[in-house]
Amino acid sequence: MLEAASIAAYGAYEFSRVDWRRIASSREAPPPEVVETLLLVLFAPAVALTLLSALGFLLLRRRGWLLAAISQGLALGTGLWLYAEYEPAYVFPIMAYAVLMILYLNVHDVRAVFYPGNRRGGPQGPRRLA
Amino acid sequence: MSAPQGAPHPDEALLRRFEPVLRCTKGDRFFPMDVEPYVRACGLWVQRSGEEAVRVVPGGGLTLETLAQQPLDSSGAVHFLKFTDPRDEPEGGSGGVGALRERAVRGLKETREAFRAGRGRLARVGYISRFVDALYSITLLARGRVPGEAAGAAAITYGRVMEEREDYRYHGRVVRQECWTVLQYWLFYPFNDWRSGFFGANDHEADWEKVHVYLAETEEGELRPEWVAYASHNYTGDNLRRRWDDPEVEKVGEHPVVYVAAGSHASYYAAGEYLTELNLPLPRPMARIVRGARGFWRERLGQYAGEERGGGYFHVPFVDYARGDGIVIGEGGDRAWEPPRVISEPAPPWVSGYRGLWGLYARDPFEGEDAPAGPMYNRDKTVARAWYDPVGWAGLDKVPTPAETHEAALERLGDLEVRQQELRSEIEEKAHRLRKLGVEAAAVRGRSHLDGRGRETRRRIAELSKELDGLRARLAADEAVAGSLSEYAGRIAAGERDPARTHIARAHAPASETELRFSRVAEAWAAVSVSLMLVIFVAIAIFEQEHLISMLVVSIAFFAFAEAGFRGRLVNLVASANIGLAAVASLILLYEFFWQLVVAAVLVVSLYVLWDNLRELRR
Repeated sequence: MLEAASIAAYGAYEFSRVDWRRIASSREAPPPEVVETLLLVLFAPAVALTLLSALGFLLLRRRGWLLAAISQGLALGTGLWLYAEYEPAYVFPIMAYAVLMILYLNVHDVRAVFYPGNRRGGPQGPRRLA
Repeated sequence: MSAPQGAPHPDEALLRRFEPVLRCTKGDRFFPMDVEPYVRACGLWVQRSGEEAVRVVPGGGLTLETLAQQPLDSSGAVHFLKFTDPRDEPEGGSGGVGALRERAVRGLKETREAFRAGRGRLARVGYISRFVDALYSITLLARGRVPGEAAGAAAITYGRVMEEREDYRYHGRVVRQECWTVLQYWLFYPFNDWRSGFFGANDHEADWEKVHVYLAETEEGELRPEWVAYASHNYTGDNLRRRWDDPEVEKVGEHPVVYVAAGSHASYYAAGEYLTELNLPLPRPMARIVRGARGFWRERLGQYAGEERGGGYFHVPFVDYARGDGIVIGEGGDRAWEPPRVISEPAPPWVSGYRGLWGLYARDPFEGEDAPAGPMYNRDKTVARAWYDPVGWAGLDKVPTPAETHEAALERLGDLEVRQQELRSEIEEKAHRLRKLGVEAAAVRGRSHLDGRGRETRRRIAELSKELDGLRARLAADEAVAGSLSEYAGRIAAGERDPARTHIARAHAPASETELRFSRVAEAWAAVSVSLMLVIFVAIAIFEQEHLISMLVVSIAFFAFAEAGFRGRLVNLVASANIGLAAVASLILLYEFFWQLVVAAVLVVSLYVLWDNLRELRR
């Protein structure tokens, strides 16, 4: 929720700072700052999934964990791609937050709440055949 | 003597009382038979190093008595039997290699018609296993292997033997070891057609399997079954055996039921399809690095690191089909056991004197296609553990019989009490000495001319104190164990028993209903995905060189997600992909903000120290 709210708030702030009329009337390509602001839209799927996963967490559904993991992966993937192409300043806090969230979601005890089966060592195969 | 005819052997009644019931799988063509007609049908060959194999006795010329006489024996020589030799086929009419091949192909077709493999083995494992499997299949072309028509030819010869006299027989041996009476049921199959008939790992002539029943004497002197152990694809020790009252051990009266896998003849306790993996270990240094990284990830960072799998990281998958839907041999079954061939002590010459292989020596470096040696020996001619130590073979050497358990617990308790007494005396004596040294150290303190002696005394005090601490810890542990033993002995005396399955670390588990309900689409995907992926990689490398990296990433992601979706491993895939991304992102953040991170770390540490000190000040 915090992540979704932060990205949405930051996006709204950046969008409000851009003079869209001037850019629309101008025949030149928009400046890099505007492109970077527009690229914030790429985080929309991750934000939507984060909201869904929050709902899943509230209901303690297994899918909550999976959705949260996918949303963090998407956010991080998008951040890495933006870093490689445009290097906007806002990707760093998003990446740092996503890294922490991924490590948290993968902590054995957190994972075990949603996937208790993973706590047990399953049966293993024989070492080699006769 | 060991002959099945004549007066019954004194051990025969005991063997027959607990003889197993075999539930075979539909499509299987070979069943347990007596060794005598098999040996009679075989030729004897010898392979000496650097030479061609030589036939020393043609088919039909061997008996169980002459088998042990091994001519041309020299260092490195391997003697082996050959069950199917086209040269032994009768001339003209239905004989000849061509006709034999034709009948062999027909036989294989019949097997395939009778047996439906169900969900393909490749659909049950991941990409790496499928790649390794492809490589394994390719190596078969280079390795020594049993010829393609051998299974069919063996089926024809076996059919001929069965036509003469239909015979289902085991070879029984009764061994008395420590307080156990072990009934060994040696099952001899003329051929293992796991690879050619059932998509398995290997084919070989001759197959020796074994089932053990462990009897213990009750206080009334009666023999009662306590454990059973079925041989199965290199499961060893504790994992092999089940307690007689374990619900997994199915019984018909007093006869344990064995589910025999098609082709491989491995023995299982329950009907089902068993995924068996040939594990290929990583090179030792690499395995050490992987183990270290895994340990750090799991122990230090508290992260989930997947389930432990013993034996390696690359696995070739095979399925053992032990469905129990074929013929049933034994009590209440479709076929009855003939009186067993009892292997008495001393072992008859065909057991102890013949150290060669019981079928074709294919010279396979992995040995999977070479025939096994007899019940007494390993392929390298050393004596097999199941022969000289059947109790230890199933990990039973540390388990007392029920009648002995209470006594063993009390004996151990007695040992511990004696040791505790000794420890107490030692502690008392050393504590006394320590106190005297303490007084000496106090007396020399502040005397400059005795500084050297004071230092020596303090060193001895430290040593003695440490030793005393160790002794007291041992005593405390012994007291706790003695308490436990005493309680355990009480429970045993009251008639309580340990849980039946605590000794099993790795149980044989058949595929579940859910796993077997895999869709045809998933099977088709498993069959084509590896080749498709390779073709796409090549196409990208040729046609999309400009976007090589991104296209490769996209295609790998597509294949990985499709695969994970089919195999129900989406969670693991997402977690692994996230960890990879997190590692890359962490490195980028470290690179971009190295000094800021260092400063932040120092600030955090200093704030923590300040907070800790202030907290102490306020107390």
